[in-house]
Amino acid sequence: MAETQSVKAFERTERAVVPEAEEGSPFRKIWNRHSTAITRIIAAILFFGGWEWAVRSGSVNPLFISSPTMISIRLFEVFADGSIWSHIRASGEIAGLGFVLSVVVGVPLGMLMGRVKLVRDTLEPLIMAKYSSPTVAFLPLLIIWFGIGILSKIVLVFLGGVIVMIINTEAGVANVDRQLVETAKSFTASEYQILSKVVIPSAVPFILTGMRLAVGRILILVVVAELYGSSAGLGYIIFQASANYDTAMVFVGVIILAAAGVVLNALLRAMEIRLTPWTTTLAKW
Amino acid sequence: MIEILGLSHQFTRQDSADENLVVLDNISLTIEKGSFVSFVGPSGCGKTTLLRIIHGLIKPKVGKVLIEGETVCGPSANRAMVFQEFNLLPWRTVLKNIEFGLELQGTDRSARRQAALDVLKRVGLGGFERYYPHQLSGGMKQRVGLARALSTSPTYLFMDEPLGALDPQIRELMQTELLKLLDAHRKTVVFVTHSVDEAIFLSDRIVVFSARPGRILTHIDIELPRPRWKDDEKIKSSEKFVTYRQHIWHLLKHELQSELQLQTMPKLA
Repeated sequence: MAETQSVKAFERTERAVVPEAEEGSPFRKIWNRHSTAITRIIAAILFFGGWEWAVRSGSVNPLFISSPTMISIRLFEVFADGSIWSHIRASGEIAGLGFVLSVVVGVPLGMLMGRVKLVRDTLEPLIMAKYSSPTVAFLPLLIIWFGIGILSKIVLVFLGGVIVMIINTEAGVANVDRQLVETAKSFTASEYQILSKVVIPSAVPFILTGMRLAVGRILILVVVAELYGSSAGLGYIIFQASANYDTAMVFVGVIILAAAGVVLNALLRAMEIRLTPWTTTLAKW
Repeated sequence: MIEILGLSHQFTRQDSADENLVVLDNISLTIEKGSFVSFVGPSGCGKTTLLRIIHGLIKPKVGKVLIEGETVCGPSANRAMVFQEFNLLPWRTVLKNIEFGLELQGTDRSARRQAALDVLKRVGLGGFERYYPHQLSGGMKQRVGLARALSTSPTYLFMDEPLGALDPQIRELMQTELLKLLDAHRKTVVFVTHSVDEAIFLSDRIVVFSARPGRILTHIDIELPRPRWKDDEKIKSSEKFVTYRQHIWHLLKHELQSELQLQTMPKLA
């Protein structure tokens, strides 16, 4: 609940600063318009340049931290020979199935919890206990129950994702604007119409935010799940590479995961802007 | 015709279990068909609650409301309400918001679309069909709220401070537009407002309420010529208008003063 709200609040404050007047030299103008981008580019150049320099000058051991060029070459290679795709597919399957299950189970359950007191009273302690405990801690138990195959991994990812979906959906359903419910009643709405035409649509922004938060958790859990007893996947690659002191390959795995995170987040964000324009007009990115 | 018979209502207080908040005390009132009646009174006098009871959104603790001889026990399709905060569905376009009432009442798609487009033009929203509420100004939003109510072709129109959230200039404009609309399609209107001027300008009759618990202090018939929207400026500065205002304001001032004293006086055990 609090998580959803704080995410929304954060996005509201994160707005592009528009320079008030354009005056002075051309450099000044460019700076006024693109100061954020310029700052970031310079910071990136300094960071990666410094890293590369540190490795080349021999002041640090490339075995431990690799270097930007070594990582880039490695990244290019794994895509050029196509060897990475089977791992991306393996992780993608677990993450995708886990995500779909989280949404399919979490949204109806969250709605029930938000609307039916009996369900809420029964499940809330359980949900809260689960929410406050690290999902990873369940992995050994899940392996005992479901074996070391794909099933235990999907269940782990599902456990992490479904909690976020339940909590956000419940918050959305519980926070429905009473005045809108009254308005529907004033036009003779039935209980079912209130649910389908007011309560559920008003929970949509919360559900979409929940999906975005779930994706973040799921990516972490996929990697953790794959560290144990797997033969494919990005987590597997990272684990194997680190065991072999192949630091460049560890970074390749991390970079692909980070890119997946950024892309998925942007996609869900675009979906939010499209589906819920009234909540997202303030946050433009 | 609306008949309110010996109606009292109280809310259970959250903070103290045995002390109830009496908001309406023994209200009896008859509202003639086709008339425009305004409720005026201090804040918290229960006039909004009374409007909700008349529509059937709240069940009264004592007494009852009859509309055309039948006891009100819930909202009905021949009555519609306009709200102070507009209460538009943010995920629906202007057109779909206007259709909302008819949709809930089971009107089929093409008929409700036709009715909505028709009313949309009448309230001056032509061209805004596909806009979302967050893209509209307050005045435009309330036009949508009004259109949503009118599209169900109600016999009774209940308005809960419908212009209260608008800025004063837009508010005056909307008053004349409202009268123009109602001249074309006569309805029985019950209108809750804080503004004495607004009540005089719009109404056939004003019911003045006391401070809480709300009682009816007096009824005033407003005998200003109609249609009033044609020369609103002249009417608002006419001698009759000013006399009405003085009279009502005098009554209200008395109520407000006693309310103020109650608040500032130290509580005696």
